[in-house]
Amino acid sequence: MNFLENNAIQISIKNIKDKLRHWQYMVFTLGFAVMFTLMFYFFLGRDIFQYSFPGMVIYTTAAGTTSAAISFAVDKTSGMLERLDTMPTGRKNLFLGALLSETFMISLQILIMFILGYGVLQIEYKGIFELFIGFFIAVLFGISSVGIGIIISGLAKTPEIANAIALFYYMPILFLSGSLWPFESSIVFFTPPYWAKQIYLQITVLGDGLLDPLYSSSLFGPTGTAEPIPIPIWGGLLIICAFTLAFIVIGIILFQKKTKF
Amino acid sequence: MSTINDSVIIEVKELEKHFKEVKAVDGVSLKIKRGELFSILGPNGAGKTTLVRMLTTILTPTSGDAIIKGNSILSGKKEIVKLIGVCPQEITIYEVLRAEENVEFVASMHGIPRKEAKEKAKELLKEFGIAGRKDWSKHFSGGMQRRLNLVMALVFDPDILFLDEPTAGLDPQARRLVWDFIRDLKNKDITIILMTHDMIEADSLSDRVAIIDHGKIIAQGTPTELKEKYGSDNVLEISFLEQEDLEVVKTNIQNIPFVVNSSEIHRKERQTLLISFKGGLKNLVKLLQQGLIDNIDEVENMKFRQNSLEDVFLNLTGRRMRD
Repeated sequence: MNFLENNAIQISIKNIKDKLRHWQYMVFTLGFAVMFTLMFYFFLGRDIFQYSFPGMVIYTTAAGTTSAAISFAVDKTSGMLERLDTMPTGRKNLFLGALLSETFMISLQILIMFILGYGVLQIEYKGIFELFIGFFIAVLFGISSVGIGIIISGLAKTPEIANAIALFYYMPILFLSGSLWPFESSIVFFTPPYWAKQIYLQITVLGDGLLDPLYSSSLFGPTGTAEPIPIPIWGGLLIICAFTLAFIVIGIILFQKKTKF
Repeated sequence: MSTINDSVIIEVKELEKHFKEVKAVDGVSLKIKRGELFSILGPNGAGKTTLVRMLTTILTPTSGDAIIKGNSILSGKKEIVKLIGVCPQEITIYEVLRAEENVEFVASMHGIPRKEAKEKAKELLKEFGIAGRKDWSKHFSGGMQRRLNLVMALVFDPDILFLDEPTAGLDPQARRLVWDFIRDLKNKDITIILMTHDMIEADSLSDRVAIIDHGKIIAQGTPTELKEKYGSDNVLEISFLEQEDLEVVKTNIQNIPFVVNSSEIHRKERQTLLISFKGGLKNLVKLLQQGLIDNIDEVENMKFRQNSLEDVFLNLTGRRMRD
């Protein structure tokens, strides 16, 4: 059996086809990020907007929550999950396939945002290497969003409810994290998007290294009030990894518990 | 030709499933032979789907076990899922995939190499009249979707095929088409377990039938055996507008020796008496002469038919399958 015939890869290919053919959904999720990007760009001006753009990228990847929540909820309620359970596939491949396809879609969405931001709007960045690290951080955060999506799909009775819960979760959390707009509060430290946005911003815009301290989620720039916090960038990376792992594990355990009888 | 032999491929032992206080399946024991088309017949809510979900390893039984080709459903899930094809009651297809993509996806889950899967999908889709459709499955008619649902269960040549209400919601023409496919499958040495509430379907397709009600198997055998044991040769249905007229006929036929039994069905405006009796036309004439001597003018409707599995169910439970 070659690599492409692996069950997880096949599930992932099927999921990607499914998502691309539901292109309206992709336009809808990406549409908001593009709209905010253009709105803030013209409202704030390019010099200030470069500090906001990392939040837009993180916003885009947070849509992985809705995508995963709907996808798993559809399989659960349509009977497809039960059908897959009667095949020699195993839930392991199902989750792996879903993670692969969601990661692919998140990467595609980030690429589109990069083309818009760094290509069309000419937003400044430190260098290609820094951008590559930023891309990796955004994808990692996207995977943590998928974990939350799986948790939601385990709890939701229908895809519509899953969609509603996902929106109800990630819209407030993005504001509370200071990703869409600076937010001077210690609440931000309890929200996963803050860590992803802050590391992304400091690496791609300021050119900080792993040992540099992270800053609070306040304004940067000449009139900025952002203060350093006692956690370096590498510590923040560990926190994102911990969030991602925890959400994926909790999601899988909960989904299994709710769908195995 | 179907090749039923005596080797038992599925043995169900005292299988039970409880959902809180409800016993959905209550001590079911069955033996199904290789190559057999075995129907589990019962009304909606009788426990058919719960039983099939346990046999296909989706549900864990509360107690009991089933052995499928030497593998316990409790411990041999990995082996069992390689042997079984399942066509669920709901149409479970990926709507934005094309027919061949759906079939090839299932084939890939069973480890069939891509090239072989493509050929097999093409062959089966042609056989089931879905070949050549290049649009997404969501645009198919209900009948086509149901056939695709069935093809997805067949693509890897399973030893055992579970069909849960495969003709539910189909028009008579599409239903007959699916029946023809199922008859063809019998010639391919596949053991088929058919869950249905359709008596005609069970009667015309099955080698053996088990009747399930309230989670228990209440009778099993070939359709002919069941009709002989729990029914009679023929049934006369007489409907009246008034219950009193029905009572008169009931009294009149009480001592007729060839009458096996009688039962009543009450609908809004009609009171119907079902009289099961042995013998042919001669006895029918006698029955009409003696039974309707006093109130022939009050008869609203009358039907004479051969005994069916519906009558077997009625005789066993005192109610009709669809009630």
